[in-house]
Amino acid sequence: MPDSFKMTNLPFSLLDENEQRLLRSSLDIGYYQKGEVIMAAGEEPEGVFVILKGRVGESDVREDGEAAPEHVFVHYTNEDYFGGWSAIRGKAIHNFIAEEETICHILPTKTLLDLMSTNGLFADYFQQNLSAKTEIVEQHSKDQDMAEFMLAKVSDGLVRDPLVIPEGTSIRDATLLMREKKADCILVKRGNRHGMVTGTDLLDAVIVNELSMETDLAEIASYRLITVQPDDYLFNALIIMTQQHIERVVVMKDGAMGGIVELTDVLSYFSSHSHVIGLRIERAQTIEDLKEAEKGLDDLIKALVSNGVKTRFVMDLLAAMNGRIIAKLFNIMIPADMQPHVCLLVMGSEGRGEQIMKTDQDNAIIHRDGLVWPEMQETLNRFSETLIEFGFPPCPGNIMVSNPEWVKSLGGWTQMLGDWADRCDGDSQMNLAIAVDAKPVAGNPAIFKASRNWFMRHLRNNDVFFSHFAKSSLEFDTPLTFFGNLKDKGQLDIKKGGIFPIVHGIRTIALEYRVKPTNTFERIEALVELGQLKEKHGKEITEALSLFISLRLRQQIKRIECSDTGHDQTPNLIELQSLDKLERDLLRDALHIVKGFKKHLELRYHLGG
Amino acid sequence: MIIPRAVRRIKEKYDHKSGPYAHLFETYDGDEVVSLDCETTSLDVKQGEIVSIGAVKIKGRKVLTSDRLDIKLKPPKSLTGDSIKIHKIRESDLAEGIDIEDALEQVLEFVGNRPILGYYVNYDVRMLDKFIRPQFGFGLPNKAIELSHVYHDIIKWKAVGGNVDLRFDTISKQLDIPMLERHTAIGDALTVALMYVRLKYGDPPEAHY
Repeated sequence: MPDSFKMTNLPFSLLDENEQRLLRSSLDIGYYQKGEVIMAAGEEPEGVFVILKGRVGESDVREDGEAAPEHVFVHYTNEDYFGGWSAIRGKAIHNFIAEEETICHILPTKTLLDLMSTNGLFADYFQQNLSAKTEIVEQHSKDQDMAEFMLAKVSDGLVRDPLVIPEGTSIRDATLLMREKKADCILVKRGNRHGMVTGTDLLDAVIVNELSMETDLAEIASYRLITVQPDDYLFNALIIMTQQHIERVVVMKDGAMGGIVELTDVLSYFSSHSHVIGLRIERAQTIEDLKEAEKGLDDLIKALVSNGVKTRFVMDLLAAMNGRIIAKLFNIMIPADMQPHVCLLVMGSEGRGEQIMKTDQDNAIIHRDGLVWPEMQETLNRFSETLIEFGFPPCPGNIMVSNPEWVKSLGGWTQMLGDWADRCDGDSQMNLAIAVDAKPVAGNPAIFKASRNWFMRHLRNNDVFFSHFAKSSLEFDTPLTFFGNLKDKGQLDIKKGGIFPIVHGIRTIALEYRVKPTNTFERIEALVELGQLKEKHGKEITEALSLFISLRLRQQIKRIECSDTGHDQTPNLIELQSLDKLERDLLRDALHIVKGFKKHLELRYHLGG
Repeated sequence: MIIPRAVRRIKEKYDHKSGPYAHLFETYDGDEVVSLDCETTSLDVKQGEIVSIGAVKIKGRKVLTSDRLDIKLKPPKSLTGDSIKIHKIRESDLAEGIDIEDALEQVLEFVGNRPILGYYVNYDVRMLDKFIRPQFGFGLPNKAIELSHVYHDIIKWKAVGGNVDLRFDTISKQLDIPMLERHTAIGDALTVALMYVRLKYGDPPEAHY
């Protein structure tokens, strides 16, 4: 039916005009009472059902054929469609039962197949979506996370290496060691037995029992250890700990000490997998460990995004994680005696903490003036290569520490920034834009702070520079028509059209007012606080930027899933036809905000004409 | 002299028993109903002319929107201000309209001898008759089903004492049926069809009067 059927919803929006006409002319409408079976498993379905109004549950059939309590997998409500998979197979796989009065459009199987044969994209969407869906159904949908937790074994990466000391160590030495290793429990080896001493035990020994600091630790250790096997379920470990009111259990493998599992680790494993990845990164001792830990990151991001977690939080989390990976790698690869003399910076979107999918590595090193370290460049080359192995693509502009141009002494670095600021050519401006978003992630941050403070002082009252610097945010037109509608029917480059003008404009103002955070959202907040942006204005820009980023991310994830290589060739492209009407309206409004902001920049930096 | 419809129908059935339209007079024994609606230029049958006709078949509990009639006619002379305000059909919207003669043939073909369902269906039937009679020599012989009567018969047991509100919008709200394209012939026909199926097969609506 012309109006009641929403063609703007996927996958029907993929159809062209003629196909939509065919679809419209072959739709029927069905009415179902509450509790009525719309399609029974095993029956030949009439076609695909699109709900106009109501609610339908898809449920399993019990093997004995009884209709007793069934497991409902999925609920469908207004504008959802169901039965596609059944229609294609010619046989319903599950029961579809109206949970309330339901009116559905019915697209006959024949028409569905016709449309699928003429429109490849439509067919793809239908099939892909369905196969993904059946997979989920097989894995019993939302209980999956829970199941994953229930089935996790003790050996699944949560076992910590314990701190073990020989018999005869004094309380004082043990305490110092625990402090140094940041451990809150220690094992004493007495003969072939192990005894455990926790922080509480130490306190009790010294304060309550007034033992001397020189007492042998083996005297106060408890030797009745509660143990688990490595192939025990983590869940059992949790139960043991709760029952015994203890915070750690010892893992024993064939009578030998395997490690310790801590209650906090188990709980955090349960609460969020991100924490686990964080822990693994923290605990990695070798590059291999680190690589292993890093692998889970992409899946985590996808899971968070598909669970509807706000993009900004995902970005913060990812920035923190990536920062820790890079820092950890730096700690592993750079000799400890050199670490206080160099500072590793990440720049560009990474420096701003605004990347989501892995973007090119933009990094640099500032070292102390007059540092003597002959193998420096060689080490840094290896560092860059390892990052590439980790899946951070090399920077096409070669802005990485393997390029000596981006490895500078403090003096050289400030000199370079100063030169760029004085010059007006495009390359200098671009390099500068990347460099002012720098954030120290490893090494000695004081070196970086010195350079930043110098540069901000250097730019003070340099109006000509700011005016020039701001100009590039006006470089690309906002993709809106003269009448204020979305310009392109097909697709638009969201980076040029929306993200860059905001990020760069905010960057310029932030630099002028010596705002130290590099994240655009934080910069906006700081500028609002300084009174340089109106609060309403700042909020609007924040909203617009969030929208651009989350739209971009959703399309990126979709493209990555569709491509064979797992890479997205066109990361900044937004395909308008895959947005629904609401999203398009939001996008249009957000682009209007960008337009307004550009106007504001024009006035502020006298860029008119 | 006013001849009762029933009597007239017997006569017309006899007159046309060997004509091309004989099948229209046979008693219908299928399970289909046709929901029909006309948009006109006036609510007075004598003055009104038809602007558009919408019809959709109902089979059991399914509304066969794939099998529907959506006819626009050539703009009649009486298409003026007042009615335009209601159905929002302007002369220019009817530029591609067809002649009433062709339209009526399509209607007869589509409806056959199925019962005709509508909201204030007598008005639509009389309106069609006004044009069918001169052209074919008979009026629509089909059984007519009045939606508001169906509604009334079900609702009256729940309504205590007072009158039942039979306004289109009220019925649609009571039955919780979305109104599709109000004031287009096909949209109204479809809404009526859905209400009919709902009344026929669903539980009686909760009373909130």
